[in-house]
Amino acid sequence: MDYVNLRRQAASLRKGLFDQGYLDEQFYQLEDLQDDASPNFVEEVVTLFFRDSARLMANIDQALDKCVKDFNKLDVYMQQLKGSCTSIGASRMKTECTAFRECCRDENIEGSHSLSILNLCMRSFQKIKREHSVLRQKLESYFQLLRQAGPVECATRPNK
Amino acid sequence: MASSQVVKVLIVDDDVLTRRIYRTMLFRFGFEITEAGDGKSAVNQFLTGNEYDLILMDNDMPSMDGVEATRTLRGMGIPAKIIAITADANSRGAFLDAGADEFLLKPVNFTVLTDILKAFNFLN
Repeated sequence: MDYVNLRRQAASLRKGLFDQGYLDEQFYQLEDLQDDASPNFVEEVVTLFFRDSARLMANIDQALDKCVKDFNKLDVYMQQLKGSCTSIGASRMKTECTAFRECCRDENIEGSHSLSILNLCMRSFQKIKREHSVLRQKLESYFQLLRQAGPVECATRPNK
Repeated sequence: MASSQVVKVLIVDDDVLTRRIYRTMLFRFGFEITEAGDGKSAVNQFLTGNEYDLILMDNDMPSMDGVEATRTLRGMGIPAKIIAITADANSRGAFLDAGADEFLLKPVNFTVLTDILKAFNFLN
């Protein structure tokens, strides 16, 4: 197996995640925490994130499905999701979470369940789901490549 | 400091992911880590006789938020260093008034946190 090539592919995938804005500085910090005592720390944290975020997004889906929407509750769920995104550096998801929360605040201000605001919220949430799905695919591919490539020396940050 | 030489830390945050990250960071310093999922659980840790040298305290948590937990712990005479770590920038004043020693915004910068731990003499 061409381990050098696999590592090159993993490095390229990782660089793309940063260049395309999927990940930010916080992911570097997680990588810095990975060491011999916690050799799979980043993957474990990312796995936790996708498990946790899937649960939150299911809650949001349920809350949006209800006839009478509780925008305060939606905002709470989204605040939690945004917090998780921040923890792993999921930058694009974090941005979409912020946009959704602004919709919730607009709805609270309007107080009239305006259809246009509701539509904005729904569209915003669809964006979050897409970003979540893409990030998941890319990170799963990345960690799969790393596993195939075998143990490596510490990852180096891409040139900024 | 608690009677043991090992620094004993209580991580208070309702987010499992956040606690996992802090745990990994602090474990590499050789700290002894306990976790609590909300302010009430944190206070109960002390009510049941546990001692900690350092508390990392989130704010927005169920049952009891971080500001209230901080105020309660100081009211109990708990001398542990309390570092508030929260996404809520507006809670800075409230945290410091309640008795927190430091305030950091999430996401936590580990270098900054390390510097604070050094300033508190928790690191050589």
